[in-house]
Amino acid sequence: MTAVVLRRGAELLLTLLTVSVLVFLLTSLAPGDPAEEILRRGGVQPTAAGVAALRAELGLDRPLFTRYLEWLLGVLRGDLGTSYADRSPVAAEIFSRVPATLRLAGAAALVAAGLAVLVSVRVTLRPHAPGSRAIALATVALTGVPPYIVGILLISVVAVGLRALPTGGDGGPGAVVLPALTLGLAGAATLLRLLRADLADALRQPFVKLAAAKGLRARRTVLVHAVRVAAPNAVTAAGVVLAELLAGAVVVETLFSWPGVGQLAVSAIRQRDVPVVQAYVLVTGAATVALLACVELCLAACDPRVRRR
Amino acid sequence: MRGRGTILLLMLLSTVLMGCGGPEPATGQLTLAAPRDLVAGPRDPYYTHQTLRVWEPLVTVDDRLRPVPALAVSWASADRGRRWTFTLRDGVRFSDGTPLTAGAVVANVRRFLRIAPRQSAFFSLDAGMEAAYGKLRDVRAEDGKVVFELAEPVADLPGRLAGFFSMIQSPGAFASSGDFAGKPVGTGPYTLVEWVKGQRAVLAANPHHHGGAPAYDRIVIRVIPDANARVAALRAGEVDGLIDKGALLPGQVGAVAADDGFRVVRSPSALTHYLTFNAARGPFSDARLREAADLALDRRAIARTLLGGTATPGAAFLSPVFGELADPGVSAPYDPARARELVAAAGAPAGPVSILISSAETGQFPYAGIAEVLRAALEKAGLPARVTVAEATKSVMEAGDYDIFLSAYSVPNGDPDYLFRRFLRSDASWNVERRLGYRSAAFDDLVDRAATEIDPDARRGLYHRVQRLLAADRPMIPLAYQDNPVVTTSRVGGVTQNAAYVVDLGELVPRR
Repeated sequence: MTAVVLRRGAELLLTLLTVSVLVFLLTSLAPGDPAEEILRRGGVQPTAAGVAALRAELGLDRPLFTRYLEWLLGVLRGDLGTSYADRSPVAAEIFSRVPATLRLAGAAALVAAGLAVLVSVRVTLRPHAPGSRAIALATVALTGVPPYIVGILLISVVAVGLRALPTGGDGGPGAVVLPALTLGLAGAATLLRLLRADLADALRQPFVKLAAAKGLRARRTVLVHAVRVAAPNAVTAAGVVLAELLAGAVVVETLFSWPGVGQLAVSAIRQRDVPVVQAYVLVTGAATVALLACVELCLAACDPRVRRR
Repeated sequence: MRGRGTILLLMLLSTVLMGCGGPEPATGQLTLAAPRDLVAGPRDPYYTHQTLRVWEPLVTVDDRLRPVPALAVSWASADRGRRWTFTLRDGVRFSDGTPLTAGAVVANVRRFLRIAPRQSAFFSLDAGMEAAYGKLRDVRAEDGKVVFELAEPVADLPGRLAGFFSMIQSPGAFASSGDFAGKPVGTGPYTLVEWVKGQRAVLAANPHHHGGAPAYDRIVIRVIPDANARVAALRAGEVDGLIDKGALLPGQVGAVAADDGFRVVRSPSALTHYLTFNAARGPFSDARLREAADLALDRRAIARTLLGGTATPGAAFLSPVFGELADPGVSAPYDPARARELVAAAGAPAGPVSILISSAETGQFPYAGIAEVLRAALEKAGLPARVTVAEATKSVMEAGDYDIFLSAYSVPNGDPDYLFRRFLRSDASWNVERRLGYRSAAFDDLVDRAATEIDPDARRGLYHRVQRLLAADRPMIPLAYQDNPVVTTSRVGGVTQNAAYVVDLGELVPRR
């Protein structure tokens, strides 16, 4: 097990280093001049001297490799640079917004997992009931609709029409409901399909027949015994879905004015605030890689076959 | 078992729903939303936008971009525009209780000069504050007045200072570095009491305000960058109004204005949509083809349909908000037949001309649709065209790889000289680097003379000549003059907006 951890750890570091190079290169080589973009924010035309002065101040006139090394050394010290837009430290800005994103992703994960388990169990218990099929169909259809459409529908019906929940922002406990629902529906599809298939498989196992012969009720067989057998694949997928939720938060956070890192990234991209974009991609990239590594370690701990690979 | 589960679920739901209704807003509180953060923070030259009325300038502009008194009640020029003296309003105190003095004004000017060049979320400062002062030799306090001594004459210093460039705050608000030491300390009707970056600003009435207390005790300004989310918040009753540049998109205005619960205020802004020609290469190096393109445009249809009636058709280079400086004699007729004749005479180009738009601007204005209409109009006139959308239009233009560029421009103050000098003078970086290829000694001379002409009639005459010259040369042509619609619920009155998108929060009053 120690060997697995060490090997995975080394791979993780290599992955992160590759991510850092890609992040830096892609954002730095993107066309456009951040200095001019920043000076033009008021909608007026800067002088050539002003643009040159700002380029020098931001260090944009130095070689790319030097800038990368300095940036990497900074990142290793926990310094993600300063924002081009207002000169504030990027790390503080990102980390002040992480809790909001985690709250949203957590609530969305609850929606996704809850929906997946409820619907798959119901469909498995009564596979031929018309209600089951309708629910399964509706869920899959709904999860196939892009989040921004679901979000706009929820806003116009629940927030504007019924005035039951806020349209956006983070002004109270109810504010998370609509964005979490929007984001969670998107994640539920993958989980639902996996769990349904695995549950159906599990029900064909001999132990189900044994349970039935023993006189166990079908509901208890599914909820207690079959779900346990069917879970591992879904748990693996949950890791991927959680990573997707973090990434998908960009659209939903913008739509609902949710003060998380995704919203920060969108406004940074608009303003060509390169250090903030770099930090966002790096942090979410690192979080995704770490999340997947955790899932793998969990599986390795449970299943000896994974360890031998 | 099932019953208990249902009860639990209901309880959970009711807690969630109760939490989100929130308390009723206290009377005297107003909540508005804006597309961007109107607070920029302690490292910005101004800290807050002028709209918030935390600070006031010496001079501001009215709805015709004319300089009008704010903290300065009057001004006079001497030495043919080389010396300007501003008389300050009496009895004005900053929100920290200290009085406004000529010395405080001088300290603000010196601070600007010390920190320039400096970027801003609003209007960046050039080196030496050139857009504001021209060439400043000295600024000093004299008998309670403020005197600017300039190395070169400036025709209209109040116009140039109007707005951000003459912001006055208590000298005690600044640290020695020129950044803000704490919160902004101004003379306006409101003070900034809370700021959550990118989310909201909370303003409270300033007890020291010289004009008396404003009607609302507190104003909360929420930042809602997404246009649909802004209107949803308005319709859901979460905010009482939407303000600032781009508060309502052209496509949203009709539906919101049709609702009796809302009042849309449309006022002209200094923002104008221009078409910039690449005349450094063919086909538009041929003046006849530029004229053909100009005549082929149905500006009225574009303003009415695509811009949803939020704009008026362009003609003279300066929009009507420049008041009498705009030349009413310049017209821009729609004459597709004449356009076809001109193309036939000049000869159609071999390849299609490229209409360039920026993807950064398509979110606020329907540029993709306008570019399509332009393309169709040019093709009808015999000029094959294609539309190019680019993220970084600067590099495309500097490579000379475009023929027409559609974009909108504005001014940072009340001075038209800025537009001519920054965009079209023979040495302007826009003209040179973006390959406009416009070199006119006559234009340069007229612009330079107008900038230093202190006689208003003579200056107006010079600017009219400039605009007639541009209407004949066509390096850039105005497509439409853009309004900036803002909206409040019908419970809010006193909404006025000047040509620089400044809604005066101090004038807002509750209506029954």
